[in-house]
This record gives sequence, structure tokens and C-alpha cells, in this order.
Amino acid sequence: MANQDDGRPDPDALLASAERGSRGHLKIFLGAAPGVGKTWEMLDAALAKRERGLDVVAGLIETHGRAGTLRKIGALELLPRRAVPYRGQTLEEFDLDAALTRRPQLLLVDELAHTNAAGLRHAKRWQDVQELLEAGIDVWSTVNVQHLESLNDQVARITGIRVAETIPDTVLDMADEIELIDLPPNELRARLEEGHIYRPDVAARALRDFFREGNLGALREMALRRAAQRIDKDVTHYMRTRAIPGPWPVAERVLALVGADASAGNVVRHAARLAEALRAPLTAFHIERTNDDARVQAALDLAVQLGGNVVTQNATDLVRAVLDYAGQNNITHIVMGRLPARRWRPRLRLADALTRQSAAFALHFVPVPAAPAPRPAPARRKTDFEPYLLASALLGVVTVIGVAADKYVPQEAMGLIFTGIIVAMASRSGRNAGLFSALLAFLLWNFCFLPPVYTFSVADPRDVVALLVFLLVGVLTGQLAGRVRQEAGAAASRVEALRRISLFGQRLSRAATLSDVLASAAEEAASMTGSGTVLLHGPHGLRPEASRPAGISLDEAATAAAEWCFAHGVETGIGTSTLPSVPWRFLPLSSNAGCIGVLGAKPDAVPPPLAQALAALAGQTALAVERARLSLHTARAQAQEDSQKLRNALLSSLSHDLRTPLTSIRGAAETLTQAGSALDEPTRADLLASITQDTARMTKFLANIMDMARVEAGGLTVRQERVKLEEVAEAAIARVSGALYTRVNIAPDATYARADPALLEQVIVNLLDNAVKYSPPDSHISVNAVRAGNKLRLSVADAGVGIAPGELDAVFDSFFRARRGDRVAPGTGLGLAIAKAFTEAMGGTISAQSPRTDLPADGMPGTIITMELPAA
Amino acid sequence: MISGRILVVDDEPQIHRFLGPALSAAGYEPLRAERGDDALRQAASAAPDLVLLDLGLPDIEGQEVLRRLRAFSEVPVIILSARDQEAQKITALDSGADDYVEKPFALGELLARIRTALRRKGQTQPATQQLDFNGLRINATAAKAELNGAPLALTKREHALLLLLVRNHGRVLTHRQLLTALWGPAHTEDVAYLRVYIGQLRKKLGDTLSAKLKTEPGVGYRLEE
Repeated sequence: MANQDDGRPDPDALLASAERGSRGHLKIFLGAAPGVGKTWEMLDAALAKRERGLDVVAGLIETHGRAGTLRKIGALELLPRRAVPYRGQTLEEFDLDAALTRRPQLLLVDELAHTNAAGLRHAKRWQDVQELLEAGIDVWSTVNVQHLESLNDQVARITGIRVAETIPDTVLDMADEIELIDLPPNELRARLEEGHIYRPDVAARALRDFFREGNLGALREMALRRAAQRIDKDVTHYMRTRAIPGPWPVAERVLALVGADASAGNVVRHAARLAEALRAPLTAFHIERTNDDARVQAALDLAVQLGGNVVTQNATDLVRAVLDYAGQNNITHIVMGRLPARRWRPRLRLADALTRQSAAFALHFVPVPAAPAPRPAPARRKTDFEPYLLASALLGVVTVIGVAADKYVPQEAMGLIFTGIIVAMASRSGRNAGLFSALLAFLLWNFCFLPPVYTFSVADPRDVVALLVFLLVGVLTGQLAGRVRQEAGAAASRVEALRRISLFGQRLSRAATLSDVLASAAEEAASMTGSGTVLLHGPHGLRPEASRPAGISLDEAATAAAEWCFAHGVETGIGTSTLPSVPWRFLPLSSNAGCIGVLGAKPDAVPPPLAQALAALAGQTALAVERARLSLHTARAQAQEDSQKLRNALLSSLSHDLRTPLTSIRGAAETLTQAGSALDEPTRADLLASITQDTARMTKFLANIMDMARVEAGGLTVRQERVKLEEVAEAAIARVSGALYTRVNIAPDATYARADPALLEQVIVNLLDNAVKYSPPDSHISVNAVRAGNKLRLSVADAGVGIAPGELDAVFDSFFRARRGDRVAPGTGLGLAIAKAFTEAMGGTISAQSPRTDLPADGMPGTIITMELPAA
Repeated sequence: MISGRILVVDDEPQIHRFLGPALSAAGYEPLRAERGDDALRQAASAAPDLVLLDLGLPDIEGQEVLRRLRAFSEVPVIILSARDQEAQKITALDSGADDYVEKPFALGELLARIRTALRRKGQTQPATQQLDFNGLRINATAAKAELNGAPLALTKREHALLLLLVRNHGRVLTHRQLLTALWGPAHTEDVAYLRVYIGQLRKKLGDTLSAKLKTEPGVGYRLEE
């Protein structure tokens, strides 16, 4: 009803109507079972049309050998059937072409679901009918509800018989009119027994099988419901085309009015039963109020559980809101609680207004349960006498002053002063204090100031009016001020709750790990109530994961409440209907994957704002826990992917770094064997040297791999001893070909380091190897050591190609190799990774710097790799 | 006696170190290039008779070197590669390489491949009407073939396939090359067709010849000398 507001018809709906105009009209006689009299009814109606001069032709009528039906056709023109040869026999079918040629105003075609014999134009009779409609001929037809495709399964389940001939549901929707032919099951069975439908022998079997009373009842209900749905659509369509606002009662719709009182649950249950019986949708409707409590939420939850939907609105005018909603949504039944008329209540006004307003709804009143559940927060309800004493004192003082200063203060002014006190009391202490003040002021004013003074009688009739006006004003202002105060209070507490929740949300978003999240949640619950705990479900059941204050444990009853909360996904403990004696309140942590745990808090009482805040806390906690778990999962997947990458890198490294020397060794050896005699002596010697070098290269490669394997397996044993750096550096330089001209500068105070000599030598070898590999052959490499506090800084500097800024850390990763153009430099990609691992095993650190700051800017950038080791 | 100039393109000095003497001893004149741009320059200026090309080069990717080389030269190219990925070889063969050997290779095999490639280069005959190959006589136009004098019944497709293999004997023909030639570019992935036709050819060709029709796993087929 998109356009209902401006009262203009919906253009789409109008267009659809216009399209229908040129087509023939289809009317379907819908029956629940064979034999209910569809054909009979159709013929009856058709004869009536013919009486009125319409050109009616019976295209095809299935009489099923029923004499009554045959007679009924009587004077109607009957199209001859078309004979179709089929497997040696002749079938008689509806003659579509004859009908199109004859072109009557109204054509009767029985049994819409019929399947045509092979060889005819359409496979199904409803397609014949479609063609007739397109030709502009009006058609009446009949069908039983079990032939509808969408109901086919249901029918098969109920009756045990699967109907082969079906029509798409759209065919029913195509009909402009549907007439439901309804016959109560017992009458149908009676007709069957009397032989009106089948021959006696067939009838007896049919009565046992398909025509069992239960079957018929179910089918009838289906037919009724399907027709009702269809009619419902029609009405919506009608309303849209004519811009008629609701209500337009067709299918039933039930609205349950849920308020903050003891009847809420009963209202919902009653409404659900009603909806069930009427097969109508249920909506629970609630206007948000400041005094909403857990019962409202419970009732709304109940509505959802019972298959209804929930609408909550924020409106000041209760009556208007309910009427608007009911009108817009074609509500036919409104269920509400009947409350004892002990106080003035909007609910009674609502009932009144609804009763007066419209005959469109049925109103159902549900009695309040005899023993209403205790209010969940009795502490708040304790009467506080302080405002009344204050009001009495204030009024008393003002009265005494007023009496004393009688000559200077006119009595009307006293009325205004009293009104001021009433407003002040109402704003300070609420509606009741305001009302009390108004009443007391009324009495005092009357007694002390209105003549005759010191009696409750009034001499001047005008004063009576004044007095009454005063009382009225007093009561009203008291009411208003009281309500303003109440709403301001509620708004403030909501703002406070929102602030807390948003603060908590911020804190959660900063929580990096699952345990941070859980600790934050427990702390937040504790700050709201005193104690908080979070329990998560794991392989060993529900386990406390975080508590504030730390170390609190749940007793047996509390554990039971938590378990129940987890198992059933409902709040338990104090202020709920499950284990309310437990001092804890437990809230389920529900995520997409279901309930993952429980949040517990230990409040003294659970007023609604606290309940809402806790619910919000539980919701946020559940989200955060899920997010943390997800990121953990992602991290694991990442790690797995990384190790996969590492393995691939290892394989490609093996492939390249083993194959190249192998090729060279094999090639040289084969050249020597195959062409040895043709080669001169220096060439032969060179080939042999090449074999030796490549063997050494492979040995180094294997040693590197073994070193790395040792590091990764954690089997590295480190000796810490006093090591003379110069000796180790010289030994390393001797091992690296191409590092022969390396300069060694060791500061006098950096002579000795505390390290493992073998590991340190290997580190320096690897660093030198790296420097040689990435530098031009004639450039300088240096090993330097200086002292920095109780550490030594040992560095290897080269004037080579340098390291890209983004790769300074990555060079220490396994299998990282700096790229030169498209090709990686030869080597295992393990050298620096091993250097790092060894250095760290010795308690040192290693880092890379590139470009070097001490080299001219126009040359190669160069690299310095520095390790820090403890001095000895 | 120098029977050809061979340009060896590889960035590993160790490879040149043994290939130089080995090729010289086999009667070739080896040329040495360690980078792609140098290889292209030498291929243009020194007009080698054959190129041995490593796919992993420091400056230009080997595949790119091959493409640029093919832009101006029909010189036979044999791929040397430590990369054993099939895709690399196939791409190279598709973009005009004549053959490949995998590192570590046997020197004898490399020299044999070099000989085949050089011989094929020498006999780039104009499409002759009739080809003879180890007792097989195949008519290029008339869709006729004889094996040791006896007529060989071949379907049109079998004939076309056999003709292609005989014309390129000694050389790997990739699946893609064969499929494109016989079935058109839409069927370059239908390797199953080839399997069927090669199977039929092997049955009809007799033991000696079908033993020479080698499968290069994952790459294609080669009719050996």
C-alpha cells in the first residue's frame, strides 16, 4: 500500500488491470475433493447466465457417468469432442479449434488439470484455456485443490495418494474469480454412499481410501485456505487500485498488545492460540515506555518463539499508534490484557478507544493471572516518605508565613505560591509527591485562607470555583512535572547505558587477543554490578575464562544456572524466571555459530536499564569473542600458508642450487671422458678444477641446509666463551673465496666477545659470502668491531648493490633472495637467516642498514650488517 | 674442421667452462653470452648456426629473449633449463624453440640434439610431394602412404598427423602445435584427441617406427631419427 498516504491509486496495479481488460475472464470453481459438486455448480451458474441472454457454450463437461449432471447440461449447446487415436484406441478430447471458431461469449471447460492426449496442440488443458483467454473468450473451469502443484506434496502426505495431474499455482492466480465449492466431509461421504459420485463398488473402495473423513477434512481446509489467500490478494489489489485505506478484513491477522504488566505473557499466548486456530499471522505490538521491564522482553521473545513477529514503536499517543498500525496492516483481531480498574491507566483508555473506534477489529481481553509474578525490582518500589515530609514542611512553613503576613499577601498569591511548590515537588520527587502536594495545598489553602477561615467550608461560591480550578491545576501540573522528571530520568539512564556500551565497544576493539576480550567483558560486568565472569564452552564443557574480581568461583546453584543459560540460550538467575534465587544473572553469548558461552554478573537487583545494558554487553562480548577467534583462526591459516610457501621456496631452491653444480660436474666429467684426448692439458685441468669447485659449492649448500634444520629443530647447543674477534674474523675470511682483501678493524676495547667461536665464525662467513655475492669484484669489504657499553658491535660492510628499503627486515627470512632484474642471485637464501638464528642463539641481535651513509652518494649504495654481542 | 657456430647463453660461468671445450672438441665454434641483451646482439652480428638458451637470465627473461630472437632469426634454438616446470618448456617450444634439454643433461644427448637441429636446418626443403623416412613413404598431397612398399591405410587426420611428425622428425612438437595444425585453434586443450590418433598411428606403423614415435610426457610428441 505504497500510495495509501497520498490517496492516489498505485500505477502498477492500474496497469495490471488494463492488461487484463483485453483478455477473456477466467473463473475457477475450486473444490476440495471429487464429488463436491463443482461441475454442478458451474452448470447451474452458466444456465442462469444463459437465461440472461449470454451466449454460453459447454466446451467440455465431464459427467463421470452421473445421470444428474448429464441432465443438468440440458439445453446448453455442447461442443462435439475431438477423437484422438491413441495406442489403438480412440480418446475423446476437448476440441480447442472448434471452440476458437465457435467463439462463444462464455465457454465451460471442465477439469482444468486434465492432461491432453499426445498429438494435441498443448500438453495440458490449462494451456488450452490460456489460449482461449488470449483469444478474448471468457472461460469457466473447475479444479480440485489437490491438483495444485504447491500442495501436491502435502496432499500426498495426507492422503497417501500422489496426484499425477497438476497445474501450476500461477494458473489459479491467473483466474479473475475463484468460487470455492464447499461441502462438509460427512455430507460428501453421504453423497458417495448414496452413489451420486461413483458406482457402488468403486464408491466402497473410495470411502476406505481417499474419502476418509480425515483426508476430506484436511483437503477442505487446504481449499479454504488457498481460496482465502487468493481472495486476500484480490483485496489488496482492489485496495491498491482504489487507494482505499484499510482495514479490509479477509484473512485473519492477529495483533497482541504487549505492555509492561503481568498479563503480557498471557496476552501473547492467547493471541498465538487464536492465530493458530485462524491460521493467521501473529504480530506482537509494543509501544516503548520508560517503565518497560523484563516481562515485556520476555513476552516479545515468546511471540517470536510462537512464530509471530514483533513490532515496537516509539509513540506518545498509544491509541493513535495502535489504530494506525492495525488499520494499515488489516488487523482483524486485537488481543490485550484486562486490568483491574483500580487506577487511571492508559490501557483502559485504549480499550475504550478501540471499542468505540471501529467495528473492524475483534477485541479480545485476556485476564491478568490471579497471582501476578512479583515485580522484579521490589527494592525500587519501597515507599520513601522523605518527599512527603518535605512537601508537608514546605507547605506548612509557607502557610504559617502566609497567615502571619495575611495583611500583605492576597490569598490568590498564596494559590500561586502553592502551585510553585507543587511543581517543584513533582519535578524533584515524582508524580506521587506532586499529587500529595497538590492535595495538601488544596486543603491548606481552603482551611487557612479562604473565608470562613479555619474551616473547610467556603462562603463565596466564586471561591469554590477558584478552589476547584486550583486543585485541577495542581493535579495536572503535578502529573506533568512528574512525568517529565520520570522521562528525563529514564533518558539519562539510557544515555548512561549507551555511553558505557560505546566505551566498552571501544575497549573491545582495542583488545588484541581472546583473553583481553574476556577480561574486558568481565571487568565491565563487574563495574556495572560488583562481580563479573565470562564462561566459554570448550571441549571440557562450560569453563570460567575470566572473572572480576579475580578468583571468584561459582557455587553449585550458580553453575547450574550458567549451564541452563548456555543450554537453553535464555537469561537465568536473579530477576528471571529460571533459578531466580541465584544471586548471579547469566546471559547467553550468542553468535552466528550458536551459543558460545555465558556472561555472568552479580547485581543486587536487576532494574530494566541494567538488564538492557547487560544484554548489550553480552551481545558485544559475543561478537568480540567471535572476532578474536576468527582472527586466531586466520593467523593459523596464515602460518600454515607461510610454511607452505617456505616449503615451495625450499624446493625451488633445491632445484636450482643443486642442479646447476650437478650439471656442471656432470658436463665437465663427460667432456673429459668423451673428448679428453682432443683437449689440451690446461683445459683438462680447468675442467677438473671446475668439478672440485662445484662439489665444494654443493657441500656448502648442504651444510647450510643442515645448519638451518638444526636451528629449526631447536637442537643448537651454544657454548659461551671468551672469544678473540680478530682470530675468528681471520678464520672466516680464509674460508670465503673472494673475501681475501677484506679489511679488519677491531677497536682496542672490542677485542673479546662472549660467544660461541664456531657459530660466530659461521655467522661471519655467511655475512662475507653475502657481501661478496652482492658486490662488484674489486670493491672493498670490511669487518669492524667497536664497543658500545657492555656490548660489542661487529659489522660487515660492503659497497655493493645494497638492499631495497622495504626488504631490510626480510633479508633475514629463510629463502629470501634479493632480486637482481628478473633473476635471483645464486645461493640458498639461507645464509642471512642462519646468521640471524646463530646470533640470537648467542644472545645477540642482528640488523641491516642500506644504503651506507659513509659512502659517496653517486656510487653503489652498499650494505652494513651489524650484530651486537655481549662483551667479555 | 668447424661444422657450425653455437651461441651458448647461460649466466652460470661453470656451464660455459665445460660446454666451451666440449663443443670445440665436437667440432663446433662456441660463442659465449651471459646476459640476454648480449645474446641478442651476438645472434644478430655473429649469425650462429644454433643457440643454446638458458631460461633464467639476469637481465631479460629467457622466454623474452626467444621471442625477440624469433623476430629476426630462424636459427634453431635448444632450451637449457634448470627449471623443470613443464609450462616453461611448453611456452618456449610454442614460441619457436626447436627442442629442450633439462639440466643436468648428458653431454651425449645434448650433442645428438644439436646435430638433429642443425641437420633439419640444412634440409628445410620446399614442401616436397613425397617424403621418405625409415621405410615410410608418405605423399604430402594425395593422402597416401606406403610402409616398406605396402600401402598404409590412413584416415585423413592420421595422414595429416603423420606428415607433420615426419616433416619435423627429431623435434618435439607440443600438443598445442599439433592440435592447432590439425584441429584448429579452438581445440588446443583437447589433448585426448591426440592420444587417440597417436595410438592408432602406432598400431598401423609397426614396431620399428612406432618405437621411434616418442611421447614427451606433458609436453608433446617427437618422431626420433
